[in-house]
Amino acid sequence: MSVRPRFYPLASISQVQSTPSAQDGVPHEIEEDLRAYGCKLIHQAGILLKPQVAVATAQILLQRFFYVSSLKQFGVAEIGMGALYLSSKLEECPVRMRDLINVYDLLLQRAAHTVASGSSPHQSSEFKYTPMSYFGNTFYDLKEALVVSEMQILKRLGFDVQVVLPYGTLVNYMRLLGLTNHNEAVSMAWGYLNDALQTPVYALYAVPTVVSAAILLTTRRLGISLPSNPENCWWKLFDVDWEDLWSASGRINRLYRERTTAERVEIIGLLSKKDLRQWLDGRVK
Amino acid sequence: MTSVAEPSTPRKRSKWDQERDPELGSPPQPPVKRRQLSIHHADLSPPNASHWKRPAPSVFVPPRTHHPPLTSSRSVYSYEKLNSIEEGSYGVVFRARDKQTGDIVALKKLKLDEEKYGFPITALREINALIVCGHENVVGIREIVVGETLTQVFIVMDFIEHDLKSLLTLMPSPFLQSEIKTLMLQLLSACFPFNLLMNNRGTIKVADFGLARRYGDPIGVGGMTQLVVTLWYRAPEILLGAKTYSTAVDMWSVGCIFAELLLKEPLFQAKTEIELISMIFKLLGPPTNESWPEYSSLPLSKTITPPSPQPHQFRQKFPISAEEALQHPYFSSFPSAAAGERRRKPFNSPTAPARVAGDKLLTDVE
Repeated sequence: MSVRPRFYPLASISQVQSTPSAQDGVPHEIEEDLRAYGCKLIHQAGILLKPQVAVATAQILLQRFFYVSSLKQFGVAEIGMGALYLSSKLEECPVRMRDLINVYDLLLQRAAHTVASGSSPHQSSEFKYTPMSYFGNTFYDLKEALVVSEMQILKRLGFDVQVVLPYGTLVNYMRLLGLTNHNEAVSMAWGYLNDALQTPVYALYAVPTVVSAAILLTTRRLGISLPSNPENCWWKLFDVDWEDLWSASGRINRLYRERTTAERVEIIGLLSKKDLRQWLDGRVK
Repeated sequence: MTSVAEPSTPRKRSKWDQERDPELGSPPQPPVKRRQLSIHHADLSPPNASHWKRPAPSVFVPPRTHHPPLTSSRSVYSYEKLNSIEEGSYGVVFRARDKQTGDIVALKKLKLDEEKYGFPITALREINALIVCGHENVVGIREIVVGETLTQVFIVMDFIEHDLKSLLTLMPSPFLQSEIKTLMLQLLSACFPFNLLMNNRGTIKVADFGLARRYGDPIGVGGMTQLVVTLWYRAPEILLGAKTYSTAVDMWSVGCIFAELLLKEPLFQAKTEIELISMIFKLLGPPTNESWPEYSSLPLSKTITPPSPQPHQFRQKFPISAEEALQHPYFSSFPSAAAGERRRKPFNSPTAPARVAGDKLLTDVE
């Protein structure tokens, strides 16, 4: 009986250096923030629908997807919706199509409302959700988009949709480092792992690297020292490469950089491929 | 916290510094020494000088480059279709040649015409199980390719020359005991990975077991085509409507195949579920409280009347696990392949090309 382990896929160096969106002229920061927003939508939908495991898987699939496809071809909102639907099946907790579509309709309406009220959200009217009409086309349009994006994710990821989640590894590593009694450190590291789902790190690095990055950020933030001199570095215990660890931590940290309200609104206005294309055209002129 | 008391003492080398060999089991001291913080920043360059040999990295944490890159599905036109092998409820299987490498593969087209809920979860499970499962007794999955529209999806698998079903029909005499033993051993060991997958999922449809079972070892034990999916190999608890079931249903199927290998024909050739149930009870005797305590709690057990108890009760403790089965004296006793059992009459197994051309099987079907 021989079992050859098969590893989950990660983006290759060339896929990282020049993403399909970058090739289509999408600036790096815009791509980064759009990916993050797409993941945020998945997260919000997940809270409303409650398939908790599926949320993490869906966010990782979305990040992988945009290493093989351009934002100009696929909007983050529709891919997020497809990813959540697909991962609810993968994690054996299928959500109803109708529920998922209703939730995304709400989230997208709210996003549109934010954009409409523009850069002065304080004076704007309160958001009110209008449910889609029973016989209208909204449902069928969204359903079509959902089915197509689910299929596109499968096809463009070559049907290799295995995802390994980091939480069990974190528990082990924290135990090994003797940090399990440090409640603040444990919950902060857990939080970093969750926030990291909005960054591409899970599509770029193996789980031990991402988990170590969360531990590195946590221990630095809380002033906990771990053996880090050249002979003994704690990350070596987990076979993690320093270069990878450092850049994964950097990518996670970038999520927290300051953005102006205008920047935030701009991102929310680019959720569909149509809006992004218009925006790109506008920049050329 | 003791961080205030510590700085006065001369810097004590931590336990980690002293040990040449990092002992994974021992947790380090609670790291509370603040003064090390300043060192952190000076330390950012990769540490390169190490006095002692580090143990080789774990096989489970390979370098980044060992992970496959993200790759999209290729087009089905990367393959040249040669002939169709068979058609079942799940789709059509073709024999095809990879245009780049010239490899002969089996292409299985998934039926996705009327999917109301997107990509079917059963197909996802099957593909995932095959991708994750790199067992020598499980047919290798090469890739998934797509056609022109989003409803055309093909699984590319290693081509396997025989399937057991047709081999059994073509063979003049049944398998030898020793041959059956090797086949059974492989079948039993192939059960583990699937069962692990199955257990994680809770309730699974029978078709899954069928699909999981369908791919056999290189000489084709599991290649029982769609017949496995049929009734004949279905365990009684599923027939009686059990909502959850375990590895036992797999063992049931294995047992049915075992009998088929010996008999050269399927054990329970029932047309309906009720007929199958009655055949099972006829052969094994009706269920009793000792042989099958859970029987009366099964949803459908009230709806049928089992035959009255018979003198022979074959079924003792039910079921036996795959591990127990592998320990069975049957596999260590004579005749064994190692002892050199010979066929009385030499039998030319249908050679791969003949089977490959598919004429025998196709003419049978047509």
